[in-house]
Amino acid sequence: MSKPASRIIFEGRPVDFAPGETVLAALLKAGRAPTPGGCVCMGGDCPHCVATVDGVAYVRTCQTLAKPGMVVEPHPLKDHPPLLAPGATSQHTAARNIHCDVVVIGQGSSGRKAADEARAAGKRVVTLEAADGQEAVGVYPGPLVVARASDGMWHLHPKESIVVATGAAEIQPVAPGNGLRGIYTPRAAERLAAGGIEFGKLVAVGAPPKNVACEKVDGELVRFEGRERIEAVVVKTAKGEERFACDTVCVNLGLQPRNMLWRMGRELPIDVRVVGDAARESDLPPCPTAGTLCTCAGVEVSDLESVFARGFRELELVKRATLAGTGTCQGGVCVPHIRSFLKAMGERLQDPFTARPVARQLTIGEISAGAWHTATPRTALDGEHRRLGAQMERLGGWWRPWTYGNTLEEYWAVREGVSLCDVSTLGKMLVRGPDAEDLLERLYPTKISTLKTGRCRYVLLLDDRGYVMDDGMVTRDGPNRFALTFTSGGSTHAELWVRDWAEAWKLDVRLLNQTQSLGAINVTGPHATKLLQRAGLAEPPAYLAQTIADVAHVRCRVFRLSFTGEVSYELHHSAADSVKLWRTLMDLGEDLGIKPHGLEALLKLRLEKGHIVVGQDTDFDSTPRRINHEWAVKLDKAAFVGRDAILRTNKVAPDRQLVGLEAEGPPPREGAVVWNGKDYAGYVTSCTFSPVLGKTVMLAWVRMVDGALPETVTVNGREAKRVKTPFYDPEGLRARA
Amino acid sequence: MRALERFPATRIVATPAALDAFAWPKGALVLRTAPDEALALTAEKISFAGDEHAIVERDDGFTGAWVPAKEALAFLERACEWEPPAVRPTFAQGAVAGLPAKLFFEAERVLFLVPAPYAADLQERLT
Repeated sequence: MSKPASRIIFEGRPVDFAPGETVLAALLKAGRAPTPGGCVCMGGDCPHCVATVDGVAYVRTCQTLAKPGMVVEPHPLKDHPPLLAPGATSQHTAARNIHCDVVVIGQGSSGRKAADEARAAGKRVVTLEAADGQEAVGVYPGPLVVARASDGMWHLHPKESIVVATGAAEIQPVAPGNGLRGIYTPRAAERLAAGGIEFGKLVAVGAPPKNVACEKVDGELVRFEGRERIEAVVVKTAKGEERFACDTVCVNLGLQPRNMLWRMGRELPIDVRVVGDAARESDLPPCPTAGTLCTCAGVEVSDLESVFARGFRELELVKRATLAGTGTCQGGVCVPHIRSFLKAMGERLQDPFTARPVARQLTIGEISAGAWHTATPRTALDGEHRRLGAQMERLGGWWRPWTYGNTLEEYWAVREGVSLCDVSTLGKMLVRGPDAEDLLERLYPTKISTLKTGRCRYVLLLDDRGYVMDDGMVTRDGPNRFALTFTSGGSTHAELWVRDWAEAWKLDVRLLNQTQSLGAINVTGPHATKLLQRAGLAEPPAYLAQTIADVAHVRCRVFRLSFTGEVSYELHHSAADSVKLWRTLMDLGEDLGIKPHGLEALLKLRLEKGHIVVGQDTDFDSTPRRINHEWAVKLDKAAFVGRDAILRTNKVAPDRQLVGLEAEGPPPREGAVVWNGKDYAGYVTSCTFSPVLGKTVMLAWVRMVDGALPETVTVNGREAKRVKTPFYDPEGLRARA
Repeated sequence: MRALERFPATRIVATPAALDAFAWPKGALVLRTAPDEALALTAEKISFAGDEHAIVERDDGFTGAWVPAKEALAFLERACEWEPPAVRPTFAQGAVAGLPAKLFFEAERVLFLVPAPYAADLQERLT
């Protein structure tokens, strides 16, 4: 019994292949071809052999070794192949990070020499050779060389140099009929002949291939003739135009350097050089007069003539106007001919256009190899929220519970009973040192020197233009020690802001970010104090004060503040104890009707109190005056960040204001336009239907007219009345109770 | 899934000179996370001296795992764009698998440490 041949499947039918044979060679030997035609190079430089292989489109079959069972399909004649072939599955591709001193791309004689020299100098060298399955596809800042290899993508991180030794490519013919089958470059003919491909009668135009029987013709290529396959080639010889009947034609137009990877990386701040044939000058083919210039983008020489006539005379502009060079081969076929054309038209000889990664089509899996999804941090209570059925959302850069299923129940638990909210996401920072007070005095627009030990104060954080960046609380622990809080979404930036200024002012302070180390639970509602007393907090702090105490046997920093408008305590503690503290409080508050509340309820509660959310209710140019927070700015104190800007902007008449609006009926969408008569007046930043007030309340930016705010405006076709905030409990009696 | 654990620790922010001079308790693995900050992995209470203004705070906010060196280096080859140090033992920190990681390299094992809020992601990505 003879050994069964290895086969690939092409257009549903088996095609035999020999060991070590490429897909293209196997197809050509079987009298098949993956594309309708075009000059074949066998060097990976042209688009004339690309096909879909095992579901992946744009695979160069001349560079792909045939494997048993491989499924090969030609691309559709019109339009593009699907990114993912029907039935194929998207594959994640692994990435390897390889660190070295030198990367040598290409292992011909020049590449080997460069690698040997680098090794001899004691360098760590990585070599890439496409024929061995390591195909460099891009050079990036970093510096980073990305290569496709048999075991995934290689991300090479060279410290010293990148050597491009990728040789030279043969220039393809551009002439009428160049889309026929049976046209080869000399090297392709040599390789295919060595592989046992029969050419029939082969005519070679220009220098012939080595070791291949052919009829050599000297002269200038005029056109190819045939229907699907080549039948003859017409050459302008000394005798005039001559027609040579043939089965195959081989055209030698010289070489162009394969230096795209060097051009991608030559401006990087390490040594990026090109050697060997890749460093040679490009030969210049005759000026094309007709034929397909760019198979990838379907550009004819007539298109080139057309855009030139319309004034596109730079290579870069010709590329943009025609799309020549933007496809599979990235200009491998068309660039020498465009250069020749432009020169023949009287322009200077222009350099090839800018090379940008990637040099080869990659799958999404290959492109994304080594990339990771942005990780969203979870509080220590994340599991508790999910166990309670919370709908989790990414908010302020964290996974947070939006609702536990019934926002209204959560809301009323705060207004009438007691509720817990996970506020671990708040930014938290300790400041200590001889200059701690000085630092905060310079940073914040409020007075820090008057803040007594154990007391807290609301603060705005302004940038040097006087715009509101963030807000939070400052608490004094002692003469030289403070605890700061920031908003969840703004804490990273705020921390950097504090650190930058401390360094710039050369202040003697120690700073410790505790955001991710500490948990924080807000206990809020009329029964909050009772609950905490049950949990062992004998002496709850007064309003805007703090105490350090054990709550449910967990050491806590207990702040008395209020964002919801009810009595509230914020318990900051080691995140390792969050679950224990949360569960104990939930158990102790069961008979008080305790429920946790999510962000949806919290945003409703805070809006009733007119509390702003920085980033939602503020803009990039919101000053304290525009958001009615002038009370938080003490202009009589010495310099602080933003003071000069505020003094300057205060001289200008105000033009718009963040105001409170009330309306009957359901709330509009946030962002709804506010109208003053027929004039645009602003937009709604926050809105909700207030259960306790029985109406819709909003914060909105409203333009002033002649220095005054309108008393009534229109939102969504309904009248809204401007009112003072807070909407609920304006005297703040409940929070201070 | 690789099991992760919280590492009891103390964070100290102090002058670099004070941190350099301090005699750390025996058995504490001290990671110098910044010139003016150290993370001492130990359950022991640390009485820091040398800087009267130092911030010394217990911190149970780091989670991680010791991973055999061979496995760790294979993971880092996939997940770390910066070059892991060659010397042992040594400390390094930076993005690993998209997470803010602290690594301590010993001859036979590597400690992967992340802030606890990233524990679930580390567990998933280490696997």
